[in-house]
Amino acid sequence: MAEATAPKPSSSVKLVLLGEAASSLVLRFVNNDFQENKEPTIGAAFLTQKCNLPTRTIKFEIWDTAGQERFASLAPMYYRNAQSALVVYDLTKPTSLIKAKHWVAELQRQASPGIVIALVGNKLDLTNETSGSSNAIGEDGDEAAEPEDDGDARKVSTAEAKTYAEEEGLLFFETSAKNGTNVTEVFTAIANAIPETSLKGARGPGATQSNANRAEDQSRVNLTGPRDNASKEGCAC
Amino acid sequence: MFNLSSLVQKAQSFIDPTQALNISASDRNPAKSTLFRHQFRLPDSQTPLQEITAELTITPPVAYSPNATQGEKDKDRDRGYHYAGKLHLSESYLCFSTQPTSFLQTASTSTSSGFTGQTHGAGPGGNGFTLPLCAIRRVERLHSQSYQFALSITTWNGLSNHTNHESSKVPILQQKITIQLAGTRQACERFCDGLKKGLKSGVGEVGKLKRVVSECYSEYLLQGEGRKENRSKMRLWGEYLRDYGRNVTLIRQPTFHKLIRVGLPNRLRGEIWEQTSGSLFLRLESPTLYADTLAKFEGRDSLAIDEIEKDLNRSLPEYPGFQSEEGIGRLRRVLTAYSWINEEVGYCQAMNIVVAALLIYMSESQAFFLLSTLCDRLLPGYYSTTMYGTLLDQRVFESLVEKTMPILWDHLVKSDVQLSVVSLPWFLSLYINSMPLVFAFRVLDVFFLEGPKVLFQVGLAILRINGEELLDAPDDGAFISVLKSYFSKLDESAHPKSENAKLRAVTRFQELMVVAFKEFAGITQSSITEQRMKHKDNVLNSIESFAKRTSIRNLGPDSKRLSVDELGALYDRFYTVLYERQQRSQIILEETERRAKASRARATEVVNGLAENQIIEKGRVGLGPSPTLMDYDGFREFLAGIARWAITDSPSPPEKENAADRQNHSYFGNSVRRRETSLSPWGYGNPEPANHEFMQRLFQRWDVDMNSALTLQNVVTGLAHIKGKDNIMGSITYFFELYDDDGDGKVDREGILRISEALLFLSRRGLEGSLTPSSSMTGLSEYEAGNGGQLDPLQGSTNERFLSSVSAFIRRCFEYADPDHPQNQEDDASATNGHADSNAFGIGEDSDDEDEDLLDLGTEASPKKNKNFTGLGGGPPASGGPDSKSLGQRSASKAQSEAANAALDPSKPLHITLPTFRMVVLADELLEQFFESSFPASFRISDKMTTPGPSSSGSSLTTFSNIGFGRQNPPQNGIVSAGAAGGVVPPSKGLRGVLDNIVTDGMRVAAEVKRRMDEAQKEMEKNAVNKPDEDEDEDEAYDNPRTPGGERRSNVRSEDRDLLEGADAEAMSMRGQEGVVSEIKGNTLSPTAAIDAGRSRSVSGASQKIVEFEQ
Repeated sequence: MAEATAPKPSSSVKLVLLGEAASSLVLRFVNNDFQENKEPTIGAAFLTQKCNLPTRTIKFEIWDTAGQERFASLAPMYYRNAQSALVVYDLTKPTSLIKAKHWVAELQRQASPGIVIALVGNKLDLTNETSGSSNAIGEDGDEAAEPEDDGDARKVSTAEAKTYAEEEGLLFFETSAKNGTNVTEVFTAIANAIPETSLKGARGPGATQSNANRAEDQSRVNLTGPRDNASKEGCAC
Repeated sequence: MFNLSSLVQKAQSFIDPTQALNISASDRNPAKSTLFRHQFRLPDSQTPLQEITAELTITPPVAYSPNATQGEKDKDRDRGYHYAGKLHLSESYLCFSTQPTSFLQTASTSTSSGFTGQTHGAGPGGNGFTLPLCAIRRVERLHSQSYQFALSITTWNGLSNHTNHESSKVPILQQKITIQLAGTRQACERFCDGLKKGLKSGVGEVGKLKRVVSECYSEYLLQGEGRKENRSKMRLWGEYLRDYGRNVTLIRQPTFHKLIRVGLPNRLRGEIWEQTSGSLFLRLESPTLYADTLAKFEGRDSLAIDEIEKDLNRSLPEYPGFQSEEGIGRLRRVLTAYSWINEEVGYCQAMNIVVAALLIYMSESQAFFLLSTLCDRLLPGYYSTTMYGTLLDQRVFESLVEKTMPILWDHLVKSDVQLSVVSLPWFLSLYINSMPLVFAFRVLDVFFLEGPKVLFQVGLAILRINGEELLDAPDDGAFISVLKSYFSKLDESAHPKSENAKLRAVTRFQELMVVAFKEFAGITQSSITEQRMKHKDNVLNSIESFAKRTSIRNLGPDSKRLSVDELGALYDRFYTVLYERQQRSQIILEETERRAKASRARATEVVNGLAENQIIEKGRVGLGPSPTLMDYDGFREFLAGIARWAITDSPSPPEKENAADRQNHSYFGNSVRRRETSLSPWGYGNPEPANHEFMQRLFQRWDVDMNSALTLQNVVTGLAHIKGKDNIMGSITYFFELYDDDGDGKVDREGILRISEALLFLSRRGLEGSLTPSSSMTGLSEYEAGNGGQLDPLQGSTNERFLSSVSAFIRRCFEYADPDHPQNQEDDASATNGHADSNAFGIGEDSDDEDEDLLDLGTEASPKKNKNFTGLGGGPPASGGPDSKSLGQRSASKAQSEAANAALDPSKPLHITLPTFRMVVLADELLEQFFESSFPASFRISDKMTTPGPSSSGSSLTTFSNIGFGRQNPPQNGIVSAGAAGGVVPPSKGLRGVLDNIVTDGMRVAAEVKRRMDEAQKEMEKNAVNKPDEDEDEDEAYDNPRTPGGERRSNVRSEDRDLLEGADAEAMSMRGQEGVVSEIKGNTLSPTAAIDAGRSRSVSGASQKIVEFEQ
């Protein structure tokens, strides 16, 4: 996650963050690098973070949109030419999933066609399934789909959100910005899911045609990877 | 001294009116009073009352402190300064400006509120003053030979230290200005009269003035208590304020603007901001508003307050003042108070930063009013709920960059950097968050004086100065970091390597200001306004389509029953109604005010053309806080737009004229006549919605939140339940529930009557001749298909049929109703069990015949008939003997007829249950169709409804309204309103009252009907005798094939007539509270006995049928 050590092709990916409790998630992601710009958010905060993949380096340019409701009408400005979007909901608040669904619909309709969208349920730490291991999440998630007991704050079941994400072809994760569960996984999955062809600033000497092709193959594999993962985790069957 | 520029201005004022020819758009011709207020930064309460050409002479103060300064600059002092311009008088202000702009034909908001052209920094107000009348101490008329009319005005300059001046070392300065009026003697005298009046009423305000002024630092500064810091600047300001007035009495001269450009001294900053932005005058108007607002809403909670709370610690957190609870508290109070006085805006992120900056130099109250001026005038729409102002100005900024820096623009486009995401915070937080505070304040100094264009000039200058580096920036990140590092180095030398020491001393910020105001001097308020006009629609449209998408997606699961198109159309219709109503009420209000005013003031005293162009812009979703609630009247209007039955029958004569008008003039212009016609509460040429109890019920039903208003969500859900049911049972149930007031699954006698009324109401236009065949009720397509060629008569007849269906409906309802008495519980059960149901269907068959018989009734009879039934309760079966058909029915189900008998007695409460209702509806083909398709289809959402309008009600309703349907209405409405007022049933009169009403009405109507029926029947019989064949043909053409032959017609007619008589009888009996049945019997037998024979013949056939069916 630090500086690229080898001269791997590096490209920047514009990512827009939408939904509730999104800021904390991206802060967790970016904080390793301390690139956060400290100004209070007016419109949107701009952050960057690099993500190293085996074959390339992706530099995320993250627009963290302001949380206040009325700023929603500014959102089109930010997602207009974004290649990826992170739509976050709070898995302790069912209404936030409804809003997230709205954003997904909005992105699918208005954003650039190939946009990679990840649906993320945040605040996993507030559920009673705080094992921290990403593997366990799916199983816990299934448990949570059953009637809750013992003070679990979860209000959105994994199954519900995951089904929706599958229907819409979204990447899906449940994370905790607080303890870091699954956070980098989200961004890595997005980075993998971005098709090489849509990368704009492929700079660096290594970005030759063959390389790009290889990366594309790779990304194709990876594209399905996270989703397979997610389904494996989610189903626990 | 007449300086050249004033001459030029004078000349321009003569030339300019001729340039006005090509301006037509209303946006470019805002109301004169708006321009006036903008130019002089006056509160909205002010209007220009008088104006006159004048010359202002500013003489040096009569006495001034000898130790103040050497008059090194003032060779001119002896002669004073002279400015030619116009003097204006409003309700409580006297204003002078060398800028003639606002009152020319070419005037626009931009020229009046912005710094335009060659004013040498005079700012929007030009050189001159905005003087509250209460700040004038004395006005003397000078007798001078050279001038016709000259006034010498002495102000209350230095009011606050007036009281303690004895202890002060500084002598009082009497500020005196001289104004020569140039005009006819008459005009001058009129102006002086007005001024006199204004001054008199201003006297009472002096106390306020004192209070307001005491918060101004200049008062202390000029008492010699000013601090030593910022010395040289402060000294200059001290002199200026002393010589040319302070705070409210300040006179704007070129030096003033120069002093502001070089940066305000900290201690004066708040006051000058307040003065140049005009928020001072707001504060003067209601000095206690801030404190009052806080007190009034103390302890109240709101969404805005929650949002404010979250941001308090994020507002200039690095500034020490906002690290203490005290500083945070000030910020909280100002933001909260503003969110209360402007709930539409409430609180928007970024306001916290702006207010925090203001509070550094201002009192809470000052900051409060300045925030208000910011939101209302300087940054229109920036903080609104849709933030359209922000988006619009970003679009404008981008287009300015494209125009002025094409190379940079190309680069941005190529590298896919969206400029507005970078520049948005600059505008939204007035650079406060982008630049170091010291520099942001310098920008603000000029911004408050010269207006919003300053933000654009500075923004463009930033990009220009950093152009080279920005061209190398490949993406958002690099772009942002270039600018960030630039902002952090604003205090450094702009030319660090220069040999020239002077040049080296120029900071980057100074360079920025020079580039902004010199290189981009061409960016004026008018060029910005022009760009705003150009992009406004686009920006609003995209916001609106975003809002529409959002809100349609958020309508919840019920909305899925409607198509996306329908939802879109509903959304449009909903908001159109809301906005149009809003606009109309505003226009009506303004118009009323205008008239009141005009009648008060002499016409000549009102500045010619005042309010003439005052076109209230129709609200748009994109403009921000949308009204989201629709009241009942709005709902009526909404329904009138999607359902024909919701349009009133009462013809409104002026509408045709309006329609013609509307074609000719897309906008109402200046003509008073047309303005008058626009005062209809339903708007220009719109059909007036009906007001029927059914609509009220619908409204209440949809109003699930019980707040007497509907949201779009309510409307969509409501409609989805009607239209989306897709099955007849669903809509029957829906209808039933509409009348089941207490939700106990029972509808009482009154409810039954109301249901039938509603059925008639709903069908009265849909079934009856619509002039556009294709738009007639889909439920009747069956008939249309068969008889496409003869729509009009056909529809007429289906309409009649429906009426008879409704009458049959009532009859059956009462027949099968369950008494409310506990001992009849068993009857209840039997009435609703399967046996009863099957009977019902049997009867249904039968009643088809009967209905078709009734078909042949003259139109005259039909509406009456219903009325009679309404009055009768279970009339026909109860009339017993002669009516063999009902005898048959009775024999079919004893229990039911017993119930029906019970139903006749109004003192015995009865009710029908949903199964009964369903049964009764299904028993009738037309009713069935009505519920299956025509009722849901009568709400036409997607296709633009062809308004039947007054013309159709005029022509095709004649058959009806001539007879008494129209007359039937008023009492009906009376009932409705009574019901509405008292909840459901007027509590005092109860059910009886309602019935009485109906009955009395029915009697009145019956007499008329009888007369017409006699006529009609005579004719009918004549026809029947003369050309029976033709008659039959007609029947077959008009009706569906099952229609029985013509010969029965007269019979049924007589039967019906019988019923009418019965109604009379019933009415009388009920009024007399006598035994119902016997009375009816007695009555029915006598007058119509002659026809009875024929009728019994036909009816007996019907009863046979029943018997057969039963067997």
